[in-house]
Amino acid sequence: MQSFLRIFKEGFSSFVRNGWLSVASITVMVLTLLTLSLFFMINVGLGDVIKSVQDKIDISVYFVENPTQSQIIDMQNELAGKSEIKSIKYISKEDALKNFRETHKNEPALLSSVSETDNSLPTSLVIKVYNPDKLSMVSATINQAKYKPLILRVSLEDNRLGIDKLLRITNFTKQLGIVFTAIFAAVSFIIIFNTVRMAIFARTEEIEIMKLVGATPGFIKGPFLVEGALYGVIATLISIILMASLLYFAAPTISKNLGDSGINPTNFLRDNFLIMTVGQLLIGLLIGMLSSWLAIRKHLRLA
Amino acid sequence: MIYFEKVSKQYKSKEGGDKLALKDISLHIKPGEFVSIVGSSGAGKSTLIKLINREIIQDTGKIYVGGLDYAELKKRDIPYLRRKIGVVFQDYKLLPKKTIFENVSYALEVAGVRKKDIEDRVPRILELVGLADKTNCFPKELSGGERQRVAIARALVHQPRILIADEPTGNLDPKTSWEIIEILQKINQISNTTIIMTTHNSHIVNKLKKRVIKIDDGAIVRDEQMGRYEV
Repeated sequence: MQSFLRIFKEGFSSFVRNGWLSVASITVMVLTLLTLSLFFMINVGLGDVIKSVQDKIDISVYFVENPTQSQIIDMQNELAGKSEIKSIKYISKEDALKNFRETHKNEPALLSSVSETDNSLPTSLVIKVYNPDKLSMVSATINQAKYKPLILRVSLEDNRLGIDKLLRITNFTKQLGIVFTAIFAAVSFIIIFNTVRMAIFARTEEIEIMKLVGATPGFIKGPFLVEGALYGVIATLISIILMASLLYFAAPTISKNLGDSGINPTNFLRDNFLIMTVGQLLIGLLIGMLSSWLAIRKHLRLA
Repeated sequence: MIYFEKVSKQYKSKEGGDKLALKDISLHIKPGEFVSIVGSSGAGKSTLIKLINREIIQDTGKIYVGGLDYAELKKRDIPYLRRKIGVVFQDYKLLPKKTIFENVSYALEVAGVRKKDIEDRVPRILELVGLADKTNCFPKELSGGERQRVAIARALVHQPRILIADEPTGNLDPKTSWEIIEILQKINQISNTTIIMTTHNSHIVNKLKKRVIKIDDGAIVRDEQMGRYEV
């Protein structure tokens, strides 16, 4: 217990007395953690975008003028029996008119083209699914021969290409983010390992003396590990403060430009603060202590 | 106390060809002795000291220190051995980032001595070497003689049975040198600590009138009580 306390005290005091080396190591680590957080945020943000896009994907089935109501009900029932389907909404001619007027309320020319008496807007079903991959299954159901005479147009066919493309891009970007995060973590580790190694190299004489006055390898190593851990803790604090204030100040701009794509910086920070803090702390501690441990190992041979 | 039996050590030099540092050295140093080891540079004095402190390992021969056979010494026991031997290094080897007090107390901290005992013993030993007023200075603020005394204090603070001093007066002026020797003599007399000192300084050896071992080219060429320094 006594030597445990001593090791901690040593670590703290040597952290303070090796001022600039500590600053250098912490700076590199802050940059690492910030970059990792940034990649993390981009990943989570893209996830949100994908979710919001998926939420907006639906199939609209437009029916011919005066469709057979019983057949529409048949179709509705058949679709409702499938577990992949999230919701089915029936939109009558009157509903369609109301929606149309709402969407185009500032465009009088368009508004005058339809009226209660002259309503060319079709009746439709709006179908949402949980997973956009299952959309093809839905369209297969709709496109059965028995429904053919009923259907004017299916909107999925129009959006299909655009949706697929968007999903591919977001998925690819997400994977790319993970790869970059891994590469960057490795590069940072190497940089920090080298910083610590140089820091320790500058103190080989000190370590030599410690050995000569009878310090055990564990007693010598301890304070260096404490120092490495301190780098991690302090770097995490700085990184979190920087990141939070950055998000805080950028929030209005982000909301303005990306708000409708499902990204909300304030909610994001609230939802992810704990996991990001803990994650950064763990990564910081791991990198700091592991690099100290690896760097000092070869200096501890006794004779 | 210290017993060497036909000890040889050679260094591998980078240019190829090995340099023999010690050849079949046999010697016996009894408890409480004050021994001066003399000889020109490269004669093997430092090698002898490094062998006792287990910084290097002999190629052949046997070494016993305080009844301990070095052949049976395990690597992990080395730190504990070093706590029983005090070494004053030629270049002082003080920790630059630590104050004088911390430099001395470090030798006790590594041995797990309690805080209360450290606070008791360190000021006393600093008093003994005449540095009571420099407790909170850093090594770079001290003169050569003062640093040497810190090194002695550190080597002594854990009350070793053996004190080894490698050229303790090497970089000091004659007056300071003799002050250092007086401290060593005092320690030798008060606590009966065995003292082994290497030196170049003929004046000091002649004045001491103690046992002198002369090493030349890796071999003991002379070993006499009340010896004098001869070239």
